Amino acid sequence: MKIFHLPDLGEGLAEAEIREWYVKVGDEVKVDQPLASMETAKAVVDVPSPYAGKIAELHGKVNDIIKTGAPLVTFDTGEGIVDKGSVVGKLETSEKKWDEGEVIIGSAKASSGNVKAMPAARVLAKQMNVDLSLVTPTGPQGLITPDDVKKFISQQAPTVSLPGETEALHGIRRVMAQAMAQSHLDIVPVTIVDDADITDLPPGTDVTVRILKAMVAAARAEPALNAWFDGKKLERKLWEEVNIGMAVDAPEGLLVPVIKQVEKRSDEELRQLIDKYKKSASDRSIAPADMQGATLMLSNFGTIIGRYATPILLPPMVAILGCGRSRETVMPRQGQMVIGRLLPLSLTVDHRAVTGGEAARFLRAVIQHLQGK
Amino acid sequence: MKIIDRFEIPYYQYLDEESHLAEDAPPLARDTSALLHLYRLMVLVRTLDTKAITLQRTGKLGTYPSTRGQEAIFVGVGNALEKNDVFVPYYRDVGVLIQRGVKLSQILQFWGGDERGNSYVDSRDFPFSVPIASQTLHAAGAAYALKYHQEKQAVVSICGDGGTSEGDFYEALNVAGVWKLPIVFIIANNQWAISVPRSQQTAAHTLAQKAIAAGFNGEQVDGNDIIAIQHRTAEALKNAREKGEPHLIEMLCYRQHDHTTADDASRYEPKDARPTEWKKEPVARLRKYLEQMGSWDDKQEEALQTACAQEVDQAVQDYLQLAPQPLTSMFDYLYAQLPHAYLEQRELLEEMEKTHG
Amino acid sequence: MAEITLVEAVTQALAYEMQADPSVIVMGEDVGKNGGVFRATVGLLDQFGPTRVLDTPLAESMIGGLAVGMAVSGLKPVAEFQFMGFIYPAVDQIINHASRIRNRTRGRMSCPVVFRTPSGAGIHAPEHHSESTEALFAHIPGLRVVIPSSPARAYGLLLAAIRDPDPVIFLEPSRLYRYAKQEVKNDGKALPLDTCFTLRVGEDVTLITWGAMVKETLAAAHQLSEEGINAEVIDVATIKPLDMETIFASVEKTGRCIVIHEAPLSCGVGAEIVAQIAQKALFSLKAPPERITGFDTIVPYAKLEKYYIPSEKRIIDAVHRLMEFA
Repeated sequence: MKIFHLPDLGEGLAEAEIREWYVKVGDEVKVDQPLASMETAKAVVDVPSPYAGKIAELHGKVNDIIKTGAPLVTFDTGEGIVDKGSVVGKLETSEKKWDEGEVIIGSAKASSGNVKAMPAARVLAKQMNVDLSLVTPTGPQGLITPDDVKKFISQQAPTVSLPGETEALHGIRRVMAQAMAQSHLDIVPVTIVDDADITDLPPGTDVTVRILKAMVAAARAEPALNAWFDGKKLERKLWEEVNIGMAVDAPEGLLVPVIKQVEKRSDEELRQLIDKYKKSASDRSIAPADMQGATLMLSNFGTIIGRYATPILLPPMVAILGCGRSRETVMPRQGQMVIGRLLPLSLTVDHRAVTGGEAARFLRAVIQHLQGK
Repeated sequence: MKIIDRFEIPYYQYLDEESHLAEDAPPLARDTSALLHLYRLMVLVRTLDTKAITLQRTGKLGTYPSTRGQEAIFVGVGNALEKNDVFVPYYRDVGVLIQRGVKLSQILQFWGGDERGNSYVDSRDFPFSVPIASQTLHAAGAAYALKYHQEKQAVVSICGDGGTSEGDFYEALNVAGVWKLPIVFIIANNQWAISVPRSQQTAAHTLAQKAIAAGFNGEQVDGNDIIAIQHRTAEALKNAREKGEPHLIEMLCYRQHDHTTADDASRYEPKDARPTEWKKEPVARLRKYLEQMGSWDDKQEEALQTACAQEVDQAVQDYLQLAPQPLTSMFDYLYAQLPHAYLEQRELLEEMEKTHG
Repeated sequence: MAEITLVEAVTQALAYEMQADPSVIVMGEDVGKNGGVFRATVGLLDQFGPTRVLDTPLAESMIGGLAVGMAVSGLKPVAEFQFMGFIYPAVDQIINHASRIRNRTRGRMSCPVVFRTPSGAGIHAPEHHSESTEALFAHIPGLRVVIPSSPARAYGLLLAAIRDPDPVIFLEPSRLYRYAKQEVKNDGKALPLDTCFTLRVGEDVTLITWGAMVKETLAAAHQLSEEGINAEVIDVATIKPLDMETIFASVEKTGRCIVIHEAPLSCGVGAEIVAQIAQKALFSLKAPPERITGFDTIVPYAKLEKYYIPSEKRIIDAVHRLMEFA
C-alpha cells in the first residue's frame, strides 16, 4: 500500500478543497493520470497520480478540505497480490470490537478489606463455624491467631436450638443481648456492696437526685472511676465532667439516657431531666445525642425491688453504681436499738482500670455524701 | 569455468626485527619528537603492566590481563585516533585508553573491582568488554550513529585472535560491509586464545581475509613495529572518516605473559616460545632505532624509567586510597530512576551499611 | 477516530514517536520494504526513509549488538526480532550489555533501546514461533519487560517504552494482533510503565494475568459473574518491575487469587507474584493462591496447540475451588 499525501499545490498553501474526483476506488491508474480537481486559495488545479496502481481509498468527498501533507489517496501497488499479513501461521482476524469496560490505572479503590487471620486460625474458624469478624485479634497488627479463635469459642455458650415458633430479637432488646455478651467478654468486673444510712435525710428529700450528687462527690474523690478505658490499646481517659447514664426501664427494654455535666446542675434541673427522660423513654423520643457520652452509670433498680446486685457495666465506662430498695430496719446507735432506714448500694468496677482501693474509697464517698457528711 | 573473484592480503612492516628502516617508510619514521612520545607511552604502559601483575600477586588487584609484548599495538592505534573518534576496546587496550583521558588509577580501579573505573569523564568511548567479540557489534552501532548524525568521524574496534571465531565478529564485519560503516576493526593477534594457539582457531590463512568475505579490505601489519601500526591505522581511519569505508587490520605480535594472572601458560605453551619471540619485542626495537638516530641514550632511559615508576606509583596510591562505594551504589545505576519495586532491598543495604560502618 | 487492531496500534505508536523524535530508529529483518511479517511496521519506510527504517541482514545477535551500540551513541533504536523464538542469539547482547551498561559505567552511558517481538502461541505456526519466555528476561536486573493486552495499551505502553531511558523488552501477543478492534486516539499519550491495570472490579477473587491470557480471563470473569461470583481482573502489563501494590490491595480485598499466564508453570513470573503474596498478604488469604498456566512442556505443534493454552474452563474451575474454601 502506498499513501499519496496532498502536496503543496503552490507557494506554501496550507490546504485545498476537493472539487471533483476523476477516479474511484478500484480504478487502475497510470503515473501522471489526473486524480482530482482541487481548489486552492489561488486556483483550481488537477492533481496528477505519482504512482501506477489500483485506487484503494479516497481520503475525502467532494467539498472536503484536505490539509497539505495529509493523506489524499491510498494506492494498492501490490499488483493484485493479496496481503496475507503474516509469514507463518494464521492470525484470528475479525471486525469484533475489543470487549473491555472502564480500565483503571493501578488499583481499584478497595473497600475496608477482609479480616487478617493466620491460615491456621481460618481453618479452625471454618471447622468450628466461627465468624472471624467477631473474633478479637491479639496477633501483631490486628492479626487473628488460632488462640484468639479458641478463646472466642470457649466464651460462647453451647448454642441451643429453640423449639417451635420463636421470636427474633429486634431493636434495643437485640442491642442489649449483643452489648451484654461483648461486655462479658471484655471487662473484668468486681462488685463491692455496702449500705448508706439515710435515716437522717430530711423527709421529702429527692433521693435519686441526692445519689447523683453523691456520685459527683465520689468522682472527685476517686477520679479513676470517672473514666473511659480502651482494653486493646491499654489507654484510659479521665474525665472532668461527670455525665451519668441512668438506666431507665422502657416498654421495649433497657435504655440508658445520659445526664450531662451533673456537677453543674441544680437539684431542680436534675429532677426535671430525670422526669423528662422517664417520659421520653416510654414514648421512645430520647434523642441519640442524649444516649451518648456517659462517664459513670447508675442503675436504680431499687425503685422496683432488690437489695444488692452485681450490675453489669458497658465499656468504655469503668464503674456502675446499683441502688437497691431502701428499707426500714433495726440498727444499733450509740448502744441503743433504733429503727433506721438503709439504702443498699452495689458498685461494680472494671478491675483492669480500677483498683479495689479506688472502688472502696469511691463507695465510701458516695455513702458519706448520702449520710450528710 | 571463469574466476569470479581473487583477493590480496598485503603485509606492512617499516621497522624490521633488527630496527632497520624500510625505504618506503612513512614520515613518522623521521619525526623524532613523535617517536619519542610513542616510546615514552610504551614504557609507561609496560611499567603499569608489570606493577599491576605485582599488585595482583599481592592480593591488591583482581584478575588482570597483561599487555606485555603488545604495547606497540595499543599505543600506535591510540595515537592514530582523533579525539572525536569513538574507541571500543576489548580488555588489553590500556595503551589506547591512557591517550584518551583515562587515568592509570581508573584502569587499576576496573581490575580492582570498582565500577567507577568505567566512568571515563568526557568521553564517548565504550568500557572494556569481557564477552568475547560482543563489542564489535556495539562498534558497528556506534559507527552507524556517526553516519546518521553526519559526523565525519570513525570508530575503532579491537579484539583478539580468539575473538575472530565468534559469530558476533562475523556479524559485525558483515553489517559494516553492507551498510558501509566508518569503522576500522583491529585484530590484536598475539597467537594465543588462552591455551588455543592461532593455528587451531581457524583454517583461514590470515585473519585479515575475513574482511574479504564481508566485502571490504583487510591487511596484516607487524604488531611489533609501531611505525607501521600508527601509519596504517591512521590511513584506515582517514578513509573511514572521509569515504565511510570499513577496513580490517590484523596486527601480529606475541603474548609475553599468561592470558591473565589466573592462567598458567606453562601448561600449554612451548618453553622456548617466549624467549624466541622476545627478540622481536616492540619496545626494544624502537629504543634501538632511536639510539641509532642519536635521539636516545642510557641516561634518558634511566630518567624515563624513574618518571614512569613515579607516575605508576602515584596511580597505585590513588587507587589504594580510594574509599569504596556505598553499598547502595549497587542499586543506584541500575535504571535512570530506581523503580519502586526495589526500594525495600536498597533500604536493606542502607541498614547493612550502618552496621558495617 | 478509527478503530484499530493491536498490531495497527503498534504501527501508530511507532509512526507517532518517529515523527516526534528524530532519534528513533526502527530496525529488524523485513521491517522496511515488507512492512514487517505481521505488517507492524507497514508504511514507516515510505514515511521516514531508509536511514530511519533499516532492513537488517539476517543476524539476531547483530540486531541486539547494533541496537546497543546505537542506543549508547544517542539514537533510540526500536529493534524487532521477528519472533520471540529467535531472540535467543541476542540474549548475550541483552543480558551482558543492554541490561548493565548504565550500571557498569556508573551512569555515564545508558541504553534507551526497545526490543520488540511477537510472542505467544495460538497462531498455528510451525515450531519455535510460539514462545512465551518472558520469565528469562524478568529475571535480569536492569531490564524492563512489558506485555500489552489491547490496542490502547499497546499504543500507550509502546510510547512509554520508547521514551524510557532504559532497555525495554516489549512482547506483543501475536494471537491478539488482529483479534479485535478498539478506538485508539493518536494523541501521543503514553500509559505509565511499572503499573498494573485493573480491567474489572470485583470482590470475590483476584485474577492476575497479562498478554493474550487477558482475553480468556475476562471471558471467564464474565461467565463467573453470571453465577454470582465477581472477579477482579488485573492486567499486570509491566512484568518487570512488578506493581505489587495494586496486587496486594486487591488480594487484601478479595482474599483469593489466581495468576494466569501462558508461559510454562515452573519458575514462571506467576511464581514470583505468588511468593510475594505469600510473604506479604498471607493473612488476607482465605484460600491457597493458584497458578493456571501453560504446562511444563514445549509448546506443541499446531494440532494440539489449543490444549496447551490455558482455557476459560481451567480458570473457572480454579475459581470454584477457591470459593469452596470460604
